[in-house]
Amino acid sequence: MAEISIDGDNLVVEIEGLDKLWALKSRLVIPLANVRGATADPGAVAGFKGLRAPGTHIPGVITAGTFHLDGEKVFWDVHDPVKAVVIALADERYARLVVEVADPRATVALIEQATTVR
Amino acid sequence: MGRPRGFDEATVVRSAAELFSTRSYDGISMDDLVTHLGVHRNSLYKTFGSKRGLYLVALRWSLRHHIAPLVDRVAAAGDLAGALRVALGEPATEAGLNLLLMAAVERAPVDPEVADELAPVLAAFDQAARTAAGRHPDRDEQDDDGVALALTATILGLRLRARAGTPGTTIDQAGAALAHRLTRHT
Repeated sequence: MAEISIDGDNLVVEIEGLDKLWALKSRLVIPLANVRGATADPGAVAGFKGLRAPGTHIPGVITAGTFHLDGEKVFWDVHDPVKAVVIALADERYARLVVEVADPRATVALIEQATTVR
Repeated sequence: MGRPRGFDEATVVRSAAELFSTRSYDGISMDDLVTHLGVHRNSLYKTFGSKRGLYLVALRWSLRHHIAPLVDRVAAAGDLAGALRVALGEPATEAGLNLLLMAAVERAPVDPEVADELAPVLAAFDQAARTAAGRHPDRDEQDDDGVALALTATILGLRLRARAGTPGTTIDQAGAALAHRLTRHT
């Protein structure tokens, strides 16, 4: 599970509990300017994730860490597919983050609000 | 990435506009989009960033390719009766008006970018209706603005009734009857 918040001009993704160990990461800070969007996507977990390196993948239990797919790096931290949110990034080490959050709808709204320019 | 996308973006955007015009935004999952558009999930994320990203591109496409030509035809219709006939009679405009309605009801209140897209289009619609109604020596300008707004509201309202299952002939009759009244009283 991850805790997502906005801190000034940054999106902060805190990996919680033991997931830090599985994902080999505890915190990601991404400038909001590099966040392309967020989507609640329960179906994301079912698809092919690519090659894992490094991280942990026990199908049906946990997907965590860095995966390589089509020349892109995707960061995963998901136990429960229903609560998965896909965050697309630009000009970052990761092309996408797929993380489990407590309330996907609220997380998507938070990110969209922070990245929408009027 | 320098690789070709492997799908035709224009076709995907058009199909997405059609899908978003038939079902609510929240009711469409990424799985639905992947299935309906025939494009890999990763490609959708790579190209559009998010479901909302795809939605905005599809909405803009529809406003440009469905609604803008319709607005032009309404403006050129000659009179109010003609404007109503044009706006209600062409099946090609259905998808565009449906998406416009759905966007106005569902997304504009919660998404400022959607509201910003719709505002000028609705204003252009009013302006077209005003042009179609023509200047009338006995009416003041405020009157004309009112008639234009009412005409746009009628077009969208009749489309809403059509969505709710009112048969096409009834919609046409309603449009014709209203146009007749408006023309007779002016």
